[in-house]
Amino acid sequence: MSKEILECSVNGEQQSCLIDRRDTLLELLRTRLQLTGTKEGCGNGNCGSCTVIVDSQTVCSCLMFAVEAQDCEITTIEGVASVGELHRVQEALIKHGGTQCGFCTPGVVMSAVGLFAENPSPNESDIRLAIAGNICRCTGYEKIVKALMDVADPKGAD
Amino acid sequence: MFEEIIAHADPHGDHDTIGRRLPRIDSGKRVTGEAIYPADFQLPGMVYAKLKRSPHPHAKIRSIDTSKAMELAGVLAVTTADDFPELEPGTAVPMGQGSCDVWMVGQINMARHKVFWVGQPVAAVAAIDLHIAEQALELIKIEYEVLDAVFSIDEATAPAAPALYDSMRTTGLDTPSNKPTNVCSRTVFKRGNSDSALANSDETVELSIKVDTAHQGYIEPQSVVAQHDRDGLTTLWVSTQGHFTTELVTARVLGIPQSKIRVVPLEIGGGFGGKVFIHGESVAAKLAEKCGRPVQLIFSREEVLQGGSGPTAALQGKLEIGASKDGVINAIKSRIHVDAGGLPDMNPGIILQVFAALYQTPNLFLEGFDVVTNKPRTEAYRAPGGIQAAFLMEQAIDELSQKLEMDPLEFRRRNASVTGSTMPAGTPFPSIGVLEIADAVAAHPCWTTPLKEGSMPRGRGLAFGYWRGTSMTSACHVTISGDGRPMFTLGSVDISGAHTSMAQVAAEQFQMSLDDVYVATGDSKSVGYTDIAAASRVTRTMAAAVIDASQAALAELKKRAANLMQLTAEELTYDHGSFRTANDNGPSMTVADVMKATLTQGAIICQGSSSNLPFGVEVGAHVCDVEVDKDTGQITVLKYTAFQDVGFALNPPAVEGQIEGSVVQGLGWAISEGFDYGSDGRLRNASLLDYRIPTALDVPSIDTVLLQKPVPGVPYGLRGVGEVPIVPVAACVANAVARAVGNRVTQMPMTPERVFKAMTAS
Ligand code: FES
Ligand code: FES
Repeated sequence: MSKEILECSVNGEQQSCLIDRRDTLLELLRTRLQLTGTKEGCGNGNCGSCTVIVDSQTVCSCLMFAVEAQDCEITTIEGVASVGELHRVQEALIKHGGTQCGFCTPGVVMSAVGLFAENPSPNESDIRLAIAGNICRCTGYEKIVKALMDVADPKGAD
Repeated sequence: MFEEIIAHADPHGDHDTIGRRLPRIDSGKRVTGEAIYPADFQLPGMVYAKLKRSPHPHAKIRSIDTSKAMELAGVLAVTTADDFPELEPGTAVPMGQGSCDVWMVGQINMARHKVFWVGQPVAAVAAIDLHIAEQALELIKIEYEVLDAVFSIDEATAPAAPALYDSMRTTGLDTPSNKPTNVCSRTVFKRGNSDSALANSDETVELSIKVDTAHQGYIEPQSVVAQHDRDGLTTLWVSTQGHFTTELVTARVLGIPQSKIRVVPLEIGGGFGGKVFIHGESVAAKLAEKCGRPVQLIFSREEVLQGGSGPTAALQGKLEIGASKDGVINAIKSRIHVDAGGLPDMNPGIILQVFAALYQTPNLFLEGFDVVTNKPRTEAYRAPGGIQAAFLMEQAIDELSQKLEMDPLEFRRRNASVTGSTMPAGTPFPSIGVLEIADAVAAHPCWTTPLKEGSMPRGRGLAFGYWRGTSMTSACHVTISGDGRPMFTLGSVDISGAHTSMAQVAAEQFQMSLDDVYVATGDSKSVGYTDIAAASRVTRTMAAAVIDASQAALAELKKRAANLMQLTAEELTYDHGSFRTANDNGPSMTVADVMKATLTQGAIICQGSSSNLPFGVEVGAHVCDVEVDKDTGQITVLKYTAFQDVGFALNPPAVEGQIEGSVVQGLGWAISEGFDYGSDGRLRNASLLDYRIPTALDVPSIDTVLLQKPVPGVPYGLRGVGEVPIVPVAACVANAVARAVGNRVTQMPMTPERVFKAMTAS
């Protein structure tokens, strides 16, 4: 199968990579760019563990072909925190115990980052809706939702 | 030995670290994607494996031709059962109080002679990329002789059913039979005469239920990286609940000595019982050996669901229960069948021991059978069998309380087992707080506040749950670093915050801060044998081991300090990192100074272990409010509260997190999760779209109420935590539905269709 060159920006770095046309964006990130923070829980759009942000939109990277990302700006979990400082979504998940096995967590973080970029003060239903595509089998969502509500309204009741 | 450990593990009093609400010490890498699971682990030259799986539910394997696959450019190795030694049925390795059947696990990794379910592996390839590996699978030619198959307990036990195993005879029958059967065993617990007691009861209830197979649903599919180096050592990087079991089993399946295999546990993306056995680790190891390159094997989600990993057992059963007019139970009689899937021996003994244990009765007859069917071999799932059996027991209890016109909480209280009551197996109950939990429920607004009317029928349900858990063996060791800080290596993997809770225990023992202790899991060659992380056992038993090791290390440090200070050890006490004399103004010495002076005189390495600690029996009560859509049968859970006696909450958010997650898993199985097999034995819902795990929109906020009644003889009085909170969930919802719509739903999951049928049944 023929290979081709893909140009895109990943976490602010310009990348040109040799890809197989069959590669999904998820495969590109995990295998070719070795950005393994983005997880594969299902490979067909049902679990959200592969969530990344492409041109300001949260997407399941397992549902997008790598070739579709030509000239796009991609942010993955590796690009969310800056050196020495976590994103407030990440801080809140730690504080509230919103991560257990951690496998869903990168996807949850990306969905939440996408949510807060669009809506800085979501309520509980906005939050539940925003992470409805992220299946978490460990937490029952309780502490994830609490954490995100804390981000939405840090002065609100704990 | 335990007395000494317990003396250093008092839950009462002031503590700097234990009992406090602390974030997990390893959350940073989880929220940033730095945590490494086997699918993220890469080695130079690594290649990729894929398994060829059976399309038939029951067939003899006539021949396998892999030559065409081997010819495909980029394919490096192909393997089949022929590359593995043929094990005798019954081959086993030790695990906990029992054993792990290696023959059975071998069949899960690679079928030999015969396939027993759709999705059982029959061959595997390793190739330079996944696309090529997938193409190669198509080139493997397998000739099957297809056999008749059975897909349910009813089909498997029908008189003319095809037998999966010619040699199978039911064990435990009063009159043994010599006919081939699909019923593997019969287990009975009894006392008194339940038949005559039932006949003499004022009120009786008879209830039959059916529960579909469900899956643990861990979000990380099975994955492994295997390497076979030129010196003959096989190393596996795994996601497992027990790397020692992985090593024992893989070595036997491969036929290699344990000196030639090392197992390194990486992060585990959820297990819930489903990552105790190996599911391809031995195949990856064999491929690595054959091609001389590291091999990564990752299951797709479809493989996980369609036969690549064990879901958990379907169960059906009937229960009769009788009581006097004043609400005293005088008989319980039940018969259950569990669906083991395609490989035998899923003995329901443990289910029988727990499911009726919460209530005292003079007359008891419990009978359980395990049945083989042409479906994936089932595996454990969080309190295995507990939620299915409680769906029967707790609904019957609820129904009987309704017939007696008695408050369901009061009815349970009147019949509750208390410490010392006789358990089904005939032994006395260890410390258990059923009545305390009943009191907590009785006083809580979730129970006392009247249920608000809605536009649709609403009901409030109550159910109790009990789980025994187990203890098994745990080991760790501690060394003291040059700056006096303790470094712990544990034999357990961390499936639910063990590194954090053990760091808390270690910090408590050394009277240091969390940041002053190092805690990690050792690989299978760098720490002593430890049983699987399962059965609600790790925190309790590893805490005992950590305390054991800590006390030994502190004693050695004290000896060294005394020597340096020219005093006797008896004259010194340990206080927050220093040894000092009783006299406030007397001399003192920090552990850092002790180590500075003595590091090069010999390492301090102290081991700790615990075996057969008393059980940390778990009990919980759940209350929920539901609304049922009378046009569609859809259940909406409005409010959910879980009460649990946890003995002592070492880290309350971790404990709550276990309960919240458990409840939501239970709600999934209660309402939407069930395997749907077609008449061809294929799973029709082998995706996370069709196998419906709850999302954040499907569940309400879960309230947890922690009670802390310490268990005697266990460090800090810790009880098991992680299993019991799934046990009552489905029954709790079912009881709420029954009170909402007036009829009982006896099939689980309680899908809209089933609820609607139950509602409209006359
Ligand atoms: S891996 Fe993409 S949605 Fe599950
Ligand atoms: S933390 Fe395990 S799946 Fe969410």
